[in-house]
Amino acid sequence: MANDEVILETIDLDKSFGAVHAVRSVSWKVYSGRVNALVGDNGAGKSTLIKLISGALQPNAGGFRVRGQDTRIGGPAGAFGLGIAAVYQDLALVENRDVVMNMFLGSELTRGPGQIFLDHKAMLRQAHQVLDDIHARIPNVREMVRNLSGGQRQAVAVGRALIRGGEIIIMDEPTAALGVEQTQEVLQLIDTLRAQGKTIILISHNIQQVFQIADYISVMFHGDLLGTRSRDEATEAEVVAMIMGKRSP
Amino acid sequence: MLGRFTQGELPIAGRRREQLLFLMDNGIYVVTVFMFIVFVFLAPYFFTPRNLVNILISASLAGIVTAGYTVAILAGQIDTSTQGVLAVATVTTALLFEEAGFSLPLTVIFALLAGVAAGLFNGLIVVNGKIDAFVATLATQVVMLAIALFLSGGQTITIAREGLQEAVFIRVFGIPSSVWIMFFCYIVGYIMLTQTKLGAHIYATGADYRASLLSGVPVDRVIRIALVISALTAALTAILVTARAKQSAMFGLAIAGSVDFVTALTAVLLGGFSLFGGVGRIERNLVAVFFLTILGNGLQLMDVPTGIILIVRGFALVLAVILSVLRARMT
Repeated sequence: MANDEVILETIDLDKSFGAVHAVRSVSWKVYSGRVNALVGDNGAGKSTLIKLISGALQPNAGGFRVRGQDTRIGGPAGAFGLGIAAVYQDLALVENRDVVMNMFLGSELTRGPGQIFLDHKAMLRQAHQVLDDIHARIPNVREMVRNLSGGQRQAVAVGRALIRGGEIIIMDEPTAALGVEQTQEVLQLIDTLRAQGKTIILISHNIQQVFQIADYISVMFHGDLLGTRSRDEATEAEVVAMIMGKRSP
Repeated sequence: MLGRFTQGELPIAGRRREQLLFLMDNGIYVVTVFMFIVFVFLAPYFFTPRNLVNILISASLAGIVTAGYTVAILAGQIDTSTQGVLAVATVTTALLFEEAGFSLPLTVIFALLAGVAAGLFNGLIVVNGKIDAFVATLATQVVMLAIALFLSGGQTITIAREGLQEAVFIRVFGIPSSVWIMFFCYIVGYIMLTQTKLGAHIYATGADYRASLLSGVPVDRVIRIALVISALTAALTAILVTARAKQSAMFGLAIAGSVDFVTALTAVLLGGFSLFGGVGRIERNLVAVFFLTILGNGLQLMDVPTGIILIVRGFALVLAVILSVLRARMT
């Protein structure tokens, strides 16, 4: 842990919804080029913390330090600007549009007077390149997303995050709805991203999966961050105990 | 084995589904050509230059309004205010040209502006009021019809002044200008929808509002623009219809029977569009407009009573709705 560089840090981050204190003064370190897993039971505050980092929610108190700089994340666009891109649990893909248009949705490449015309060729080329980089197996990028498998969809959503310049990629339960083999595809995808130096924030319920892929495991309980362990120093039993609210010594 | 996608194949069900969808989407071409050939043999005077030009004119009036309507549907907005916009624009055209003595260009500009205003009004209610377009435009249509009624004093305004029909319905290469205007609208529509960022955003917003919003598409602006385009083409159609009839027309009545919300909706759905937005190609709509126009024209020439023709058109809409829902279930 000592050698790894912190790329993103939350400082005393706090968020309440009315009487519900969803995130309680959380200070969390995210390590660069690593898979940082965030685990916890339903309602532990994982999703809220992630939404604060991706700019979808604003904190009541506390702040962020990204690459050593104190900063605020004003909204999803602000998060993109800092290289933070979220892959939502439902992936936010448009079923009836093809792979290329989904990858560039909201950040289309344009050309011509006033930049009103789509640059189909450039988008096609870049989509191929990004998908190749992450070893995604999508035979035809003009295929409608509705015809893709769960693993392929995940790849398209991650591809979109990369196209937007994502360096810190947040993946919210990426394997929750997938079968065994497709789950392995997604884990390989995460592995590939890490090998390319990307930082991954992985939210998961699946402890075995977390131990298989993550470098760091952080546990939340009732809005508190109980602690972070490197995978090598943690045991499954310890992490499960923490998820159930037992602070480890 | 799970995960056959790794070999780059779609599941069989997916491929068969795609074939069926292809058939549903492109069947309109075959059916239209087939029907045309049948009428050539069965309907007297059908295949004469005069009647073919008649078909073109009818199709152009229905086609222009349908082009804009298509854009609204693609953005996921069922714009039911078409009749209201037509009414406001026809009364504006007749009043300004006949009674206020405006020049032709000024009349046209103000009638189109009336359409833009109606579209902005729709956008205000739909976007700011967060009300479903179908319901919102049903209500705004009532307001627009009332405004048209008030402005015209409930009277049909006859245009005695020369210059409107003559200027608007000039023939270029023997074909009336409205037909050229229709083709122009479809070419612009096709380019906008397939080649521009706005077009991509219209499709995406209609297909999945939430996903588009999360991806940074300016969904509210897209919806406003789509509703303005829809109203603008309705206003354009109103100018043409008014010029052709030399009087203001209260829509929904006989004079403009073929240019209405129902025709536009039928054409859009027959063209393989989804009622729920995001799916469809504008060129198929043009074919669907011709299908409906040829159907009406051919039956009329075969001396089929008007009531029966209306029933047939009604069934065409029912069929179109069924197809649309089937299609939506399959995707």
